[in-house]
Amino acid sequence: MAFYADKDYTVDETVLEAANQVMAGNLGLHWYDAKTEKVKGKPSDPRRGLTYQDLDLGSYGYTQIPENLRTSQSMVARGSEKVGVLPDMGYVVNRKSDVWADNVTDLYEEDKARRWTPAIDVPWAELDAHPLPAPVEAACSQLYTFLQECSLVSLDFAARWVPLINQDFIEQKSWLCAQMLGWARLGEAFRKRALYGGAGLGRASNTAEQGLKEWLWADTFPHGSLSINLSLGGFVLAICRHVAAFAPSKADRVLHGFAMQDTARQTAYGLGQLRYFLSHRANELPATQSYVDFTEHVMLALLGSPELLEPLIIISGGGLEKEQVRSGRLAVSKFIPLVVSEYLERLEAAGMSGRRERSRIPSVIDQIQVAA
Amino acid sequence: MAISFPSTEYFEALKGQMAAQPEKFRRLGFIDTTFGVRVGQNGKARNFVLEFEVFDLKNVREVDAIDLRRVDFAIEGDSRVWREMLENISRNGEADSLHDINTLAHFGEQLKIVYDDPDGHDKLYRFMESIQKFFDLSSKVEVSFS
Amino acid sequence: MAYLSTTNYLEDKNFVDKWLYTMRTGELDLSWMKASTEKIKPHEANARRGLTYRDLDLGSYGFTGVPEKVRTNRSYAPRGAEIPAGVPDSQPWVSRKSEVWAFNTESYYEEAVTRQWNVTTDIPWERLDGVELPETTGKALSQLMTFLTEVEMIATDTPAMWLPRLNPDFIEVKAFIAAQAMDEARHTEAFRKRALTTGWGLMQASPMNEMALKHLRDADSFSEMSVALHLVAEGNVLTLFRFSEYLSPTDVDKRIFRLVMQDEARHVGYGMQHFKYVLENFPEKREVLHAHLDEAENISFAGAAATELTEAFIILAGGGLKRENIEEGIKITTKFNLKQMEEHFERLEKCGMPERKERSKLFQMYQAGVAAAEAAGIKL
Repeated sequence: MAFYADKDYTVDETVLEAANQVMAGNLGLHWYDAKTEKVKGKPSDPRRGLTYQDLDLGSYGYTQIPENLRTSQSMVARGSEKVGVLPDMGYVVNRKSDVWADNVTDLYEEDKARRWTPAIDVPWAELDAHPLPAPVEAACSQLYTFLQECSLVSLDFAARWVPLINQDFIEQKSWLCAQMLGWARLGEAFRKRALYGGAGLGRASNTAEQGLKEWLWADTFPHGSLSINLSLGGFVLAICRHVAAFAPSKADRVLHGFAMQDTARQTAYGLGQLRYFLSHRANELPATQSYVDFTEHVMLALLGSPELLEPLIIISGGGLEKEQVRSGRLAVSKFIPLVVSEYLERLEAAGMSGRRERSRIPSVIDQIQVAA
Repeated sequence: MAISFPSTEYFEALKGQMAAQPEKFRRLGFIDTTFGVRVGQNGKARNFVLEFEVFDLKNVREVDAIDLRRVDFAIEGDSRVWREMLENISRNGEADSLHDINTLAHFGEQLKIVYDDPDGHDKLYRFMESIQKFFDLSSKVEVSFS
Repeated sequence: MAYLSTTNYLEDKNFVDKWLYTMRTGELDLSWMKASTEKIKPHEANARRGLTYRDLDLGSYGFTGVPEKVRTNRSYAPRGAEIPAGVPDSQPWVSRKSEVWAFNTESYYEEAVTRQWNVTTDIPWERLDGVELPETTGKALSQLMTFLTEVEMIATDTPAMWLPRLNPDFIEVKAFIAAQAMDEARHTEAFRKRALTTGWGLMQASPMNEMALKHLRDADSFSEMSVALHLVAEGNVLTLFRFSEYLSPTDVDKRIFRLVMQDEARHVGYGMQHFKYVLENFPEKREVLHAHLDEAENISFAGAAATELTEAFIILAGGGLKRENIEEGIKITTKFNLKQMEEHFERLEKCGMPERKERSKLFQMYQAGVAAAEAAGIKL
């Protein structure tokens, strides 16, 4: 085992003595006058309840978290009195600008307030009442297979970083946990939709998975967040908006209505984090530009994956007939530049000025548009 | 008596309907966004700013022009498109998939979403269910079109 | 960079040309339509419950059919999909079903999703307006909340740490673990918010308990982590929540403890069902789990020296610091301590480890504690 207690406490006299003294009524009360700030928070708006923003008070608040956490490596809650020998939890992310975003507490509160349940909030029976034509259902099954791959990678990303991030960033870690549940729920919704339609699952995408793994395994949290939250989140958000707009069934429309809310929150955090990172660490801009130069090919891998592209054409056009494919192709030819344009726009807004000119993606997209 | 669209009175009527269904909007969650609505007609436009907070429409006002730096986003469209959407809502009790805001604005060809900051733009999607349900309340209001 | 895709798609002419061709001609390849996957038609077994994971437990997609050793999927492909050549390895550490599975995993997840609650709006915080607890009770409550905040954050880190290590075929377990992480984040939030509304703020950290928390996280295998976290620690905390609800000085505190209790009971439920599953399906693991329990119980016992918690509990239980309050507090705290241990051994027995009592030093302590309590006239 990686961690053993320092001794056998069942035979440790000091433990027995401490316990016996207390249970004999001799209370030491060493904690009673803890050197901490006395506060009494309350809701600023009763309709909203008691938010984390309401508790941004003095030494407890997130505003006062310093950029570098040098003295907190244990599980102590921010603002409590630290005493004795506290364990080192081995956190490797200890700089506020590596994880923080000005919207992170808003997003956490919003996430809890806007929760939903795929099992009951999607009108699954609509798919029985109005079955889709076989090619469209097959396309749905393939699209939802692809979306499950995206969800799993996003889920793993949030989970991977939670235990590595310093405890003092409580609100941000809580947000990552909300993301975890959010992506588990989206994966659930996509799987249920794929299987309920009767066509089973489709084929996994090696193109997409290769790219997704590159994004997932980024060396640093800011770079990984840029890839997974801003880029992948924005990409899945665009798919949700597109499928909702061309929804082949009411179940699909409702599902993507909820899914777009969830993915928009992921995207907003991605943008907020990158903006915070670059505004506090301007010297990181060249390295971040270089990281994006190197990994932006993944956006193409996702957009051009046949396992996404073809089902999207079929869903957008309503079938496999020639005219339907033509119409679907036109819709997808508008969708692709929309995704890329919003992606570059977010990067620019976050502080990566000149990204649009520097990126190699638009030249490929121009060719796609011409081809379509 | 019918309420004219577009007008402050129209949005105030929806605000009243929203307040009358607190559970429905509470269930959808916080909606914290301020956005503009621009309805164009014959080369002119009427502009409104809607300020949502917690579960409610807090304030609506008509403005000469929408300052995109002071709103999250604005939904722009010709009065014909808005009318078609509201009539569809009136007929069905809610917008069908061809007439909801997401569909109409998806490629910016019927309604258009304009914004200064993409973070503001993303709020449209973060609060989409609430925003759509807000416009769907139009089915409970008798609307006339100027 | 930690991983590089086998292809740089910006430089892959074949990839881009194929894409251009599709967009130009509309000639679709459609090879994905021939995926050799099963066609099934699930139904909602209970329309009120909606479409559950259990309704999808069919054929190659079901969780029942997941083999003990998952050999065929190490990618990010969802279970049951066709897996083409060239997908990357997601590097799972845990691909053995009995290491992670629990009877009813899928139901615990569905329950978690439907029973999410919101600390911000589901606790009647406004009722604290004007409530001034006596200093002793107020500080004791804040100290209890400080301890619980520490506990819940490790309970967030630990499942999160394991989640990406699990084979993607364990969809329902990963989903449950994700829901658990969110539950624990919510608990941290609840206890922190309550501490910061008492007027006393947070109090003092608990070094002895933090050592125990580190032990929870740093286990060698998922099963060992689960027995320490879900069964031992959360089992103890569940008993603590029940007593805390009983001792709560305000309705607001009662409501908090009732809600966190529901979540905690779900985690303990998963832990018990997993423990049963692993003992039944991976019998060689029994001795390993015994050894891990030896350590977990040692650390549980060390908690007796965390007097900052015991004292706060005595004050809350007795209602103050006067002699009669303390005497009453000690009686209740003694019952609580013994109840925690009794329930711990009950759970282990129910899961199929009745012999634990014979091996456990903690059980000997429990028996001695019962005898001492009876001698002191404390009715158990």
